Amino acid sequence: MKFLCIPCDTKMETQTDGIMPEEKSNLAMQFKCKKCGHSIAMLTNKFETEFVSKLGVQVGSTAAEAKGAPMGVVAGALAGGKEELKKSAPNEGEIEWTEDAKERIQRVPFFVRNMAKKTVLEFAKERGITVIDGKLMDEVREKVGM
Amino acid sequence: MKTYDDLAGDGGSNIVDQVQALGVKLRSRLDRIKHKVALMSGKGGVGKSSLTANVAACLVDKGYSVGILDADLNGPSICHLLGVRNSQKLVVDENGVQPGTGIHGIKLMSMDMLLSSPDSPVMWTEEADATAVWVSTMESTALRELVADTDWGDLDYLLIDMPPGSDRIDNIRGLIPELAGVVEITIPSMLSQHIVAKSITKNNKMKVPILGLVENMAGYTCPHCEKEGPLFEGQDVEELAKQKNIPYIGKIPFDTRIGRKTDSGSLFYMENKDSVTGKAIGSAVDKILDSI
Repeated sequence: MKFLCIPCDTKMETQTDGIMPEEKSNLAMQFKCKKCGHSIAMLTNKFETEFVSKLGVQVGSTAAEAKGAPMGVVAGALAGGKEELKKSAPNEGEIEWTEDAKERIQRVPFFVRNMAKKTVLEFAKERGITVIDGKLMDEVREKVGM
Repeated sequence: MKTYDDLAGDGGSNIVDQVQALGVKLRSRLDRIKHKVALMSGKGGVGKSSLTANVAACLVDKGYSVGILDADLNGPSICHLLGVRNSQKLVVDENGVQPGTGIHGIKLMSMDMLLSSPDSPVMWTEEADATAVWVSTMESTALRELVADTDWGDLDYLLIDMPPGSDRIDNIRGLIPELAGVVEITIPSMLSQHIVAKSITKNNKMKVPILGLVENMAGYTCPHCEKEGPLFEGQDVEELAKQKNIPYIGKIPFDTRIGRKTDSGSLFYMENKDSVTGKAIGSAVDKILDSI
């Protein structure tokens, strides 16, 4: 699916800070025209979200990232899964996530989790923060609407 | 105004590329496995998993490298049968998730390996308010990940222990189009044959190759004197195979030893291949191999 800004005849781009998984069953994504700055939001209902979920892909991600997350969907959605499985995601260098923050990001649906993580990481990096905790995630939610 | 094809990419998420990448990953796993065989039955409780484990043991005995995919997501039993304990650490590395190594070096992947405790059921985090569609799609995705994200390595045979029923074969066929075929398993009871007949009909309609029909628990073999006696009343299973125009693989007697390990920790077949039941398993495997 692509979005076109009609006045500018330009492709609109996905905004990594615009992903809003309001609930696990639906989401909102922002697209912005680079030329005029106009933004729109795409809202998906429960069934559309489920359809994307089934594909096992990650919104706002890349093919390389999709390859690098073994059993990512199961890890994110299996209740009572082993810790080794949950920790299988690649680490983010010097940024540390507290247990509370890890648990919260794990609750974000798999296929938008990568995008949500990027938003939180960028937010932390911009401010020189090296430990991501629940408080910071509250702040991200408040400031970028995630 | 520009059209879809005028705009490069797909809106920022590279979903097409990602789907292709997932396909490449799946294919790279499957290409290293020579033969993929599903063991299934429309009916539960016919001894699919115990038979699958012993068929694997027989293949190992013949010198093949073997893996088992436990496709029974909600009732996994292969770990238990092959002695892979839940407490074993799950190894996740750059190659994917490492399969468990069971008795006789049989590789396996099962939901039981992913759960934190032996009595944990397979439940999804969103299950309380999830729709049936969501749970179903999760199961399909989980199955794909169990196949594609397990580092199976090079195998001669991957046996797929199917759940009861015939619906999951749709997923397996989609994931593994080169499936050598399915082995249908029934017990002699009328009820079992009635249900398994539906599974055979469905596979025939879907053009899933059927390697043959096994008559499991066909009579009782005394573990002490090896005398055989009847166990179920039912129609001739060979007749069902004829009606459905599929090969009849043979009878395997009911044997209380088949589902448990021997005192030395082996699977039944390995130490009892010359018993009546062992010979029956060996003969069934020979027929399966001949049909591949």
